[in-house]
Amino acid sequence: MLRFYLEVARTAFRRQLIYRWANLAGLLTNIFFGVIFSYVIIALFHARPTVAGYDVRDTLRYTWLVQAMVMVVLTFGWYDLMLTIRSGAVISDLSKPCDFYWYWFSREFGRNIYYLFYRGIPTYLAGMLLFGFGIPVDWRFWLAFLVSLILGASIGIAYRVLYNAVAFWFLEARAFGSLFVVVALFFTGSYVPIPFFPQWLLAIIQWLPFNGLINVPAEILLGKISENALLFELGRQMLWVIIMTLVVRVIIAVAAHRLVVQGG
Amino acid sequence: MIENITGDLRVYMHFLGMLIRSQAQYKVNVAVDIGASFAITSLEFVAVLIYFGKIPSMLGWNIGEVAMLYAVMSISFGLAEMFGAGIDAFSDTIRLGEFDRILLRPVGPFTQVVGSDFRLRRLGRITQGCMTFVIALHLLPGMHWTAAKVVALAIGIGSGSILFLSVLILGATLCFWTVETTELINILTYGGRDMLSYPLTIYHQVMQRFFLFVVPLAFGSFVPTCYLLGKPLPFGLPGEMVFAAPVIALVFALCTRVIWQFGVRHYQSTGS
Repeated sequence: MLRFYLEVARTAFRRQLIYRWANLAGLLTNIFFGVIFSYVIIALFHARPTVAGYDVRDTLRYTWLVQAMVMVVLTFGWYDLMLTIRSGAVISDLSKPCDFYWYWFSREFGRNIYYLFYRGIPTYLAGMLLFGFGIPVDWRFWLAFLVSLILGASIGIAYRVLYNAVAFWFLEARAFGSLFVVVALFFTGSYVPIPFFPQWLLAIIQWLPFNGLINVPAEILLGKISENALLFELGRQMLWVIIMTLVVRVIIAVAAHRLVVQGG
Repeated sequence: MIENITGDLRVYMHFLGMLIRSQAQYKVNVAVDIGASFAITSLEFVAVLIYFGKIPSMLGWNIGEVAMLYAVMSISFGLAEMFGAGIDAFSDTIRLGEFDRILLRPVGPFTQVVGSDFRLRRLGRITQGCMTFVIALHLLPGMHWTAAKVVALAIGIGSGSILFLSVLILGATLCFWTVETTELINILTYGGRDMLSYPLTIYHQVMQRFFLFVVPLAFGSFVPTCYLLGKPLPFGLPGEMVFAAPVIALVFALCTRVIWQFGVRHYQSTGS
């Protein structure tokens, strides 16, 4: 069965390869936004040398890591599952002799890997060339980062399936979808780096599932999380992977039980 | 010529009435959509507030001044995306060959495309812009208003909407050649919006010149805001340049129209 899921992931990866020009345009967009944020950060840091232990170089690295990871972890405007629910095609996916959730998980995981290589890494490299902020080199951070990124991507997939599953009840739920994504992006540091948030809010944010999407991997790679806290942070991500996956699976089970597909 | 324009305008007003009435049928949906759009755009502004919670100023601009700039930007962009919603779907119109049908009808293709959609939900961003404006006024208690400044504000918002609408149309015009939507135009629209929500002077010289002299979006936000706040413009431009903004916006819109008509003449239908 594992072979099947790997094959699903591989197919999703290969399907994505076709959209070469779209990816290039998207890449340029990511880079442009990275450039804007960089200038904003450089201008702000004129007034103060460090904020919450971040100097200008750390913050630039953080910002470009976010730009690099955002397509990998939480694709904006992903309504593939919602569209199958609306068209009724979901029924054929539900009848496949495999688990519905793991089927979508593998598909999305394949896409994530595509975006890592064709979007994420080029984005960060572009930022590095433009602003010369380099890259953290400690291999232990990279190892922990990789684990954390996989956990973050898994939370991201569960989250996407969750807001798409709203369509089992309301067929047109795109407005919900974009609100869901924006809230998640906000609380994982894609608007403002999480360490810049006021203290009282930080205490809450750290316990939200969104924290694990982008902020935790980014902070780990930047070496901002001490070795003692590292296992705790990874554990917290793992906890959210389990909770989110269980919740989504229950919701799908309930929805599939009462699903009525329109014909035509 | 004039007759054509008034005729098209009448048709457009008719489209607008239909679109608003049809959306008003789904009151709950529209309310939820406006609410969601308001929440999303407000979060974007909260991000600015969080930055300024830690850092007092941005190259001489304080939070109140940036909020003023942000408000002008949100209102003019919000208006542009509300009226320009029909342009969003233009790549589909081309791809499906629908544009053939549009060309056959006795109304200007431009009017039909722009008049094909109007989204009430985008009131969300405009509402956020108005609220940000109130916050900016609150944060700038010493601000001195004159009649000229009120005029500059109105001019700025009007010109800003026209400029953004023109950029949206330019993006759509590209579809005549590329067929598919090119995400690249997002750099000009959403990128331009995000970029110009902060003072233009923080960016690289090349970017400043581009948004002042090539795609003059800065005349719809940065230039009027500088006039309101009594801040100097880059490259030694006089502050009174704001009163030239409508002319600049109209010239840019005319250029867009010429390119659009060129595109229409070179349109080759797609088959599938």
